Amino acid sequence: MANKKIDIALDTGTPGMYVSESKVYPREVSGRFNTLRTAAVFWLLGMFYVFPWINWDGRQSVLFDLPARKFHIFGLTFWPQDFIFLAMALMIAAFALFFFTALAGRLWCGYACPQTVWTETFLWIERWTEGDRAKRMKLDQLPWSNPERLRRSGSKHVLWLVFALWTGFTFVGFFSPIRDLAARLVPFQWGGWETFWVLFYSLATWGNAGFLREQVCKYMCPYARFQSAMFDRNTLLIAYDPRRGEPRGSRRRGLASVLERARGLLPLAVAEDYAVRAAFNPTAAVTRTGAHGTITFDRSANHEPLPKFEPEQLGDCIDCTLCVQVCPTGIDIRNGLQYECIACGACIDACDAVMDKMGYPKGLIRYDTQNGIDGKPTRVLRPRIFVYGALLVALIAAWTWGVTTRSPLIVEVLRDRNALYRETAQGVENSYSLKLVNKTDAEARYRIVLETAPAGASLSRIPAEIVLEPQKVLTLPVTVTAPAGTRGRAPLKFTVESGDGRVRKSVDSSFFGPI
Amino acid sequence: MSAPAPFDHPPRPMAQRVGAILWPSFFAAGVATMVFFAYVDPLQLRDMTFPDLPISRTLGYTLGFFAFWFATAASSLFTWILLRPASRYNRALPPD
Repeated sequence: MANKKIDIALDTGTPGMYVSESKVYPREVSGRFNTLRTAAVFWLLGMFYVFPWINWDGRQSVLFDLPARKFHIFGLTFWPQDFIFLAMALMIAAFALFFFTALAGRLWCGYACPQTVWTETFLWIERWTEGDRAKRMKLDQLPWSNPERLRRSGSKHVLWLVFALWTGFTFVGFFSPIRDLAARLVPFQWGGWETFWVLFYSLATWGNAGFLREQVCKYMCPYARFQSAMFDRNTLLIAYDPRRGEPRGSRRRGLASVLERARGLLPLAVAEDYAVRAAFNPTAAVTRTGAHGTITFDRSANHEPLPKFEPEQLGDCIDCTLCVQVCPTGIDIRNGLQYECIACGACIDACDAVMDKMGYPKGLIRYDTQNGIDGKPTRVLRPRIFVYGALLVALIAAWTWGVTTRSPLIVEVLRDRNALYRETAQGVENSYSLKLVNKTDAEARYRIVLETAPAGASLSRIPAEIVLEPQKVLTLPVTVTAPAGTRGRAPLKFTVESGDGRVRKSVDSSFFGPI
Repeated sequence: MSAPAPFDHPPRPMAQRVGAILWPSFFAAGVATMVFFAYVDPLQLRDMTFPDLPISRTLGYTLGFFAFWFATAASSLFTWILLRPASRYNRALPPD
């Protein structure tokens, strides 16, 4: 591996603070984490692209029916009145993020974030059409008039575009029944807004996954910037072990791993000093990879170039720069934890493969905690894990309880605003408007009674039984008549109940008579 | 990482940071409130949303302004977070 020719970046722009973003060409990698990430892509994108096509209880399994103001999710229907459950679901998502981040770092970024997932898919397309890292770099240097460039990059863009359009179509399919939407494609009968949102979402997918990629994570994502607030020295990270790896350098085959040599692991301070000095004095190969992380080292860190080391002094890092080449955000993980790291594990896979070839034990770059890397014990069970975990469990329990025991009926009452009361031959009349919502998928029958009312008051002109159609809202005008002579304001309570008495809802209002 | 960052601006004074978030958002909220309530009567909005709450026109304008300010200030805060130099937060984990 050490002798293997390393592909050279032809983009020779000097990396630095004030240059425009140089393109990252992530090298293909295979290994445990890549397999996991691929599985996550299939699972998550599978849900996105397949769910709208699955029917459930006779309707689309996941449908956000905006015109009807109803969200259908696998047999559950959410109404605007269920907003609390949406708010709670968002809180659950937030606490899950805190919990898993504190425990195992940026699992979200590496495996689940749509930005990562779609970028991964777009990269696959790029590899199928344009070839591996070196080929892509060369291809990008050719003008579009070159037939090879036109054929390969052209087909890439066509595939990207088709995939993006399909994504946009699927997205709109969550809001407008997808089978119907598909049926109206030929001949083209989409509404103006449907067309707009398909194109808009396609454009967003195409731009984010095809072009912006890691820049979204680095410049637009707030989560990355909060990483230090959620991490501590017991959080799992993607980390390079400088005690084992430093000083880095190429060597002849045959030199055993430091784990099997007298040298052993370096003291932490020495290893960190070597790593910082290597970062400030990169080799030509490292410079060519164009790694552009922004890690800030300790101000007091020594920047002196490193001396030439004897082979026996070398650590296990052979400085092949593969960990930099595979990095989708273009950083050098050997500089330590950086906010740009999306914890995808590509560098672990790359380094493990190199260690295998060298006959060294794996894990020079590995999933470990900062304490583990520093050779100290790791404490997984710590207060923040318990606090986040307890809040998460409580929220999930409350949400589940709330959703499963939701009332199938919503009752709201509105007083007639035009007249406070009317005096008629029968007595004093007040008018109300009752809004009844049947949240179930079955017809429901209810009766309305007056529970609290002024003496002698009664409901007039309403049927004995109200029939509510499935998933429908009924607005019912109601008149309450009280005997003449009822004066002032009196509390009033309407109760709506089912024949078997199982469902019972009350709403409070007021009855007004002449003062 | 091939060279140290050439220049790292020191943190700006607190008044400048807070001012740069609250003042532009206040201004934007004022304009938004003016335009919004030029077309929407708070009393009509109340009747469509929370008819049972005793919301007067003046209270409606006030709530509207602060709701706009909250939203615009949240956006300014987000911008501030995104523009913070990496050197402020991108360093090794602090010791336990």
